[in-house]
Amino acid sequence: MVEAISLSKSFGPTVALQDVSFTVGKGEIVGFLGPNGAGKTTTMRILTGYIPASGGEARIAGFDVFDQPMEVKRRVGYLPESPPLYPELSVGEYLKFVAELRGVRGRACSLRVGAVMEQIGLKGWEGRILGSLSKGYRQRVGLAQALLHDPPVLILDEPTSGLDPTQMVGIRALIRDLAADHTVILSTHVLSEVETLCPRAVVIGRGRMLAQGTLAELKAHAKRGSWTLIEVQGITARDLADADGVEQIEPIPTTLQSDGWTSYRVTSRIDVREALIKRVHAANGRVRAVEARMATLEEAFVDIVGEEGVTLGRRPDPPPADGVQA
Amino acid sequence: MIGATWTIWKKEMRCYLVSPLAYVFLAAFLFLSGLFFYLGVTLTGEASLRVLLANLAVTQLFVLPMLTMRHFAEERRQGTLELLFTAPVPLGAIVFGKWLSSVSLCGLMFLGTAVFPAILAYYGNPDWGIMATSYLGLLAVACGFCAAGLFASSLTDDQVAAGLLGIVILLPFWLVHQAEALVGDDWADSVKKFGVLVHLESFERGVLDSADVLYFVAFTFIFLFLTFRSLESRRWR
Repeated sequence: MVEAISLSKSFGPTVALQDVSFTVGKGEIVGFLGPNGAGKTTTMRILTGYIPASGGEARIAGFDVFDQPMEVKRRVGYLPESPPLYPELSVGEYLKFVAELRGVRGRACSLRVGAVMEQIGLKGWEGRILGSLSKGYRQRVGLAQALLHDPPVLILDEPTSGLDPTQMVGIRALIRDLAADHTVILSTHVLSEVETLCPRAVVIGRGRMLAQGTLAELKAHAKRGSWTLIEVQGITARDLADADGVEQIEPIPTTLQSDGWTSYRVTSRIDVREALIKRVHAANGRVRAVEARMATLEEAFVDIVGEEGVTLGRRPDPPPADGVQA
Repeated sequence: MIGATWTIWKKEMRCYLVSPLAYVFLAAFLFLSGLFFYLGVTLTGEASLRVLLANLAVTQLFVLPMLTMRHFAEERRQGTLELLFTAPVPLGAIVFGKWLSSVSLCGLMFLGTAVFPAILAYYGNPDWGIMATSYLGLLAVACGFCAAGLFASSLTDDQVAAGLLGIVILLPFWLVHQAEALVGDDWADSVKKFGVLVHLESFERGVLDSADVLYFVAFTFIFLFLTFRSLESRRWR
């Protein structure tokens, strides 16, 4: 449905994008990941026909973005990074204007505006002035605006940036609903968003393609891989390391507790939980938690993008997926 | 194309009529008109709008760039230009719709001055033909100046800068009437032909001279075309 073939873009001497290629199939929802300034917005602007690329090709629904911009624009709903609102208009006036701009006119226009407002949860907000809306509602209107001409492809640039957690959950739920019958490209630097919404993601950094694939494939990029957390008493790290299969062991300083229990991060290729427990008992130590941890998308992302230039809000660890109490 | 122009026009008119800016300029324009009307009638003793209309042309030079300054500058700053440019609408329709809305607002301002002909008709016997062509002349000036103001707005994303730039672009078309001061008398006549006031004279005499009409059509067209090109080229940078 969406095809980018070695896209590149320079602004004067600055190279913003270089050789970026990816495809998004019909009905897919794909996350577009990258640190700030990676070229996410530039790519989306090229796909929507706002700016032309310096090189490469892009096709949406079979139409070339450069040669048939009108056909492409009719099929794409676009939510820019900051919702493009006129602060002096009311919600109803604005949505009607955008619908007409996209060729939905007359009776169909009011019907469509009503339907979209209902879908996005804006019912009863027709008369509100856009300039007085909260950030969450501005974002909702921005999303509604992108849906008015019922486009098969949605391109959303950081749809949840700057929202509070409740608003984020709301917008995400909306996007998940939309994904059922739309092809969606969603740019973000919030990784948990990708994990809850997108089965597949494309990672770019400094204007280059870094990786693309399913989340599991991306997680395989994490250098550390999966690891085991163990919390023990009365046994040294050296003794623990003797357990079969253990490759590396290091204490986790932040969870060092005053009650005499110590947590270790154990790296291994195989499941070492049982071997670790046996080793602790053999050494007459005590164990109160053993937990297998998967590599997180965040770790994978940091390793893909490289340490420099990464500005990410850290996400709290997920609750233990598979815990063993001893 | 026509549908899109109409949509843009409606939205622009709506934005004008809910913003205080339009009313401030409407008020200023009508105040100055009243002043020129009073002076014109008392000084010349004629039942005509000759003085009023000549002065309004110059007033427009300063007022119209203030009305057009927000068009593209504000859209760019607000991020709404992205909305317009990613909609399936030709760029020409956007430029034309916005220009038409400014000209329409000028039309409304001129409507506000209709009280003066009414006063003249009550107390005197004005020449309605001259009145009509004079108003057409004013409208012709509005068309040209709005196009130039729109062009200024397409060059920057700062409204105030766009407004001042618009005035700077238009000033030479007024100042050439003082050409004698700069170049010799031989040259002055040809330089003056670029000025706006020379081409208004026929309108004020009640004549529709095709050369003068063509001047204003070309003036408008050239600036609308420059606006179009400037918007198009900014996307490449």
